[in-house]
Amino acid sequence: MNDDVTTIFEQFPNRRREDLIPILHGVQEIHGYLSEDVIQAVSEYLHISTNKIYGVATFYDNFRFGPVGKYHFRLCHGTACHVSGAGTLLRELEKLLKINNGETDKNGLFSLEVVSCIGACGLAPLIEVNEQYYTNMTLDGLKSLVRSIREKELSSL
Amino acid sequence: MEFQIEVNNRMIRVEEGQTLLSALRDHGFRIPTLCHMNRFSPTGACRLCVVEVDGRRDLVTSCSCPVENGMKVRTNSQRVIRARKSLVELLLSNHPDDCLYCQRNGHCELQLLAEEMNIKERKYFGQKNRQFPDYSSTSVARDPAKCILCSRCVRMCEEVQLVTAIDFISRGNRTSVNSAFSKGLNMSTCIHCGQCIQVCPTAALFDISHVEKVQGAIERKDRQVVFFISPAAISSVTEQLKLKSKHQTMPRIVAALKRIGAAKVFDLGPAIDANIIEEAKQLADRLQNNDSASMPMLSSCCPSWVKYIETFRPESLPALAQNPSPQHTFGRSLKSNHAGLVGTDREKIYSVSVMPCVANKYEASLEKNTRKGVSDVDAVLTVRELFQLLKAYGLDIPQMEDEKPDEPFNNASSAAWKYSYSGGKAEAMAYEAYRLLNNGKTDNFRFIVPKNTAGKRETRVTVGKHQLGFAWVSGIAEAEAYLHQLEEEKRNDIHYIEVMACSGGCVGGGGQPISRGFENARQRKKISIDMEKCCRYKYPSDHKASEK
Repeated sequence: MNDDVTTIFEQFPNRRREDLIPILHGVQEIHGYLSEDVIQAVSEYLHISTNKIYGVATFYDNFRFGPVGKYHFRLCHGTACHVSGAGTLLRELEKLLKINNGETDKNGLFSLEVVSCIGACGLAPLIEVNEQYYTNMTLDGLKSLVRSIREKELSSL
Repeated sequence: MEFQIEVNNRMIRVEEGQTLLSALRDHGFRIPTLCHMNRFSPTGACRLCVVEVDGRRDLVTSCSCPVENGMKVRTNSQRVIRARKSLVELLLSNHPDDCLYCQRNGHCELQLLAEEMNIKERKYFGQKNRQFPDYSSTSVARDPAKCILCSRCVRMCEEVQLVTAIDFISRGNRTSVNSAFSKGLNMSTCIHCGQCIQVCPTAALFDISHVEKVQGAIERKDRQVVFFISPAAISSVTEQLKLKSKHQTMPRIVAALKRIGAAKVFDLGPAIDANIIEEAKQLADRLQNNDSASMPMLSSCCPSWVKYIETFRPESLPALAQNPSPQHTFGRSLKSNHAGLVGTDREKIYSVSVMPCVANKYEASLEKNTRKGVSDVDAVLTVRELFQLLKAYGLDIPQMEDEKPDEPFNNASSAAWKYSYSGGKAEAMAYEAYRLLNNGKTDNFRFIVPKNTAGKRETRVTVGKHQLGFAWVSGIAEAEAYLHQLEEEKRNDIHYIEVMACSGGCVGGGGQPISRGFENARQRKKISIDMEKCCRYKYPSDHKASEK
């Protein structure tokens, strides 16, 4: 694990304070989330206190502190999606996946995250699952999406 | 450059570069603030210091606005007063209204402001803060529900103590002041200095109280409760109660504590003397052995400083003096050699120290300071808690009769008083080291405190052919900057550095009564200096009795 982090550190040899967020992004890209060990490593590298880094990272929605599931649902909750029913979709999705916003389920299959505007307002409401976009989402569409993933996973067992 | 500005139709002279707030306060205008701290960077977080400035559309936060020539300011227009009132009402909207059960009932700045703003009814109904308090630390407790996010503690922790054990976590209405990974203060880098408690306007930060523990012990018949009181705590009681005759504070505290059932009440002073003598021996040893790895020697009497070194500067550990703080020198000797004095077994002694410090609570809980799971010091009361305890028993210190502290620990030298402010211990140390290195002769001892101590707090003492350098710093940021400077310039002319984690030394300690600004600490220092003059002995080794 440390090797991956070091490769990112090498891209920022000046150890400046403003390198913090790019480093955190890089680390999250590799690990999927920011673990305590990683934050401590960054803290030692940049000489910024762990708490300060934790404070910065919790300020932004983009950083996660736990692993994501195999299927990571990102539900857009921008203005356009909101008026076209993202709230209803969220409630339905929480029911379907049996997890709340920001959580990962026990077997690590699903995780759910509400994000602010993805930038495809013309196609609202939309959901992104592992970088695949599902546009003009409806409740039925949502159900069949989750069902198809479940079936796919079951058949591959 | 000086110029005039107009405030409430009055002209006042101000200095260029001043903030509006400091100019207004200099001229006696009352401006309420919650987040402002002197000598700190302005944040403009609470916005209570807003004033109306002609030509500006919006209200201006005076704490972060520099004065400008010809400014026209109104500090109490209808608009300003309304804005301030709304701000306090909004702060109250999610505040748990449990003032009656609150640690800071009666001393709370928010409560005071609510009264000042004439708030008589609830205007905004917000969801209450629902966050769990954190009692994990042995010294400092947090109750985030009462936090108003003024960032004073965060700035104190970061700018003065360089620790950043607490910081803002998350954002928006979920923001809280919390430790790293929200794990609790005991898992954080907190050094237990308690300065955050000193600056907190509400009861979001407070000390872990030992008052009830002490009350419980007093009620138990099989326990002999022994108090020992630090001189720094005494001068702070004198200062708080504005007692005229400073000599009577200690006797009256003794009388009050005896009244509530203390078996013995001792003065901590002799332990301070012993601590200085012991540390001076170590210094002399290191000087004679030319032990450059452990030079300059760093004082180890401040538990916060020791924790800081352990956490952030492990490379400086060899330089740290090796003796425990006076509290534990005393606690240990009380429970080993001197149990007979109390007239009971050591298991039955319940020792309580009265300290101006919350870090002593942490120190008392350390495993190395316990034997068979029982700490050498069973409870540590801060000065605040001493007042609480005496209040609970309905005792008023000024009205007590005088009673001498118990023998044999009642003949401390003036060094015990010097110990309470920054620079005092360094002087006593210099004297003792001088005596040791000069074969017991001290006639030519001179300790000159430089007049301007703003930048450099160091002085030289000549012993024979050698020059010894003594330095004193307070506040971790100052200590760290000083040590850094020594390393940068590769200086080796400083041999001893007295470090106290709180600004000004123990007179500004985290366990002192809550006070804004440095005026109270200055007052306490003055009282300590007055008390020094009346001691029979000037330095620890001047009398044999202190060499326990």
